[in-house]
Parts: sequence; C-alpha cells; structure tokens
Amino acid sequence: MSADNHDTDVTKTWSAGTPVRVKSQPPEFHCRTPHYLRGMVGEIIEVAGRFRDPSLLAFNKPGLPMRTLYRVRFKQVDVWPDYNGCPTDTVVADIYEHWLDLITEDQHEHA
Amino acid sequence: MEQRVNDVGGLPGGPIRQEDHPVTMYQKRVDALYVLLSSPPISAFRVDSIRRSIESNTKEDYKNFGYYDKWIRAIRDQLIEQKILSEAEINARIEQIKGEMLKQPVSKG
Repeated sequence: MSADNHDTDVTKTWSAGTPVRVKSQPPEFHCRTPHYLRGMVGEIIEVAGRFRDPSLLAFNKPGLPMRTLYRVRFKQVDVWPDYNGCPTDTVVADIYEHWLDLITEDQHEHA
Repeated sequence: MEQRVNDVGGLPGGPIRQEDHPVTMYQKRVDALYVLLSSPPISAFRVDSIRRSIESNTKEDYKNFGYYDKWIRAIRDQLIEQKILSEAEINARIEQIKGEMLKQPVSKG
C-alpha cells in the first residue's frame, strides 16, 4: 500500500535481515501484536506496507500517523520453551513498527 | 504483562471441532447487519472498533458467548458509543418485538 497524503510521520524503514525485539509493553485495547511474541527476538523479512494504526482505528479515529508494518520471522524454539519440532522451524508474524525495537550488534545473541 | 482475553495463541485449547455445521438464520442476520452498518454509505463503525468491543469482554463472557453473540453485542455497543441509538431505544425496541411475538404465535418450521 502506498503512502497517502496524511502520511507525515515518515520514519526510517528497516530492511530485511534487521534483527528486532518485540516490545514487552502492555497491549492497547485493540492490539495486533500476539502475546506469545512479546519480548522475542526475530528478524525482519520484508516490509508489508504502511497502514493506518489499528489501535487508533479501534476508537473510530483516523489512525494517524500511519505505521510501517513488518513481516518478522522468529525461531519456534525461541518462542516455545518446550518446542520439540524441527529446530529450523520458524513462525512469521506481521508486527507494527511501534511494537519493535532495533537490536544493536552487542545485544544480539549470535547462534 | 497483560494479556487480552482474545489473545490466546499458544495456549492449550483442546481438540478442534472440524465438522461442518449449518449456519442459522440468526447468524446470517448478524452478519448482514454488520456488513450493512459498517459499509458505505452508513459506515457507522470500523471492523477495528468491533474487534475492540469483542476484545473488551470479560474472560467469562468471551468464553461463554458464541461467535455471533459476541458480534451482535459489539454491534450494539458500537451503535451506542457512536450515538446512533441509545441503550434505552434498543431495549424499548426489544420489548416491543417481544410483545408482538407473544401476541401472534410464531409458526415453527
């Protein structure tokens, strides 16, 4: 989806491969970030687009500023402590920019 | 870290019932009401608002009410919140319809 005229809050867009951590903040009243991913470290695989903020649309507001939505990949073994499937299994979730923190190189845990 | 009632991904949910079941007239009507009210030219509310209303249920209500029961309650909440109808108006209309139904026996079938 392309940017529209109300898109005044253009922030830097992270590219594929960027490691990110999902924030552990309390959820908004309508929250699109699943509980099971909060605090988890994943990797951006693509930018899904810029969209009106659902947590504001949920109060019948315009939902601005627009937010970048990222497709983020997590390792299943990181997400579920008792995961006994294949260690390379992943889960992909769409997460809005305001729910993600950039991980600096020294914070990033290398496998 | 707070978890909303609807945010149940990863929690044990028991077996999934996979068989088809018939859609009732009530369910179709709720669906139709939602589409008519949320689409132009009415656009009374957005799907995000309906979801917020559904997600504001108590844990007990969220578990016990059916899918379309949660929809119709959310539609009512949104109509009141958007000041399209008042709770009193909705309740009065419910009582009126109840009265009409008691007067004339409904044919079953």
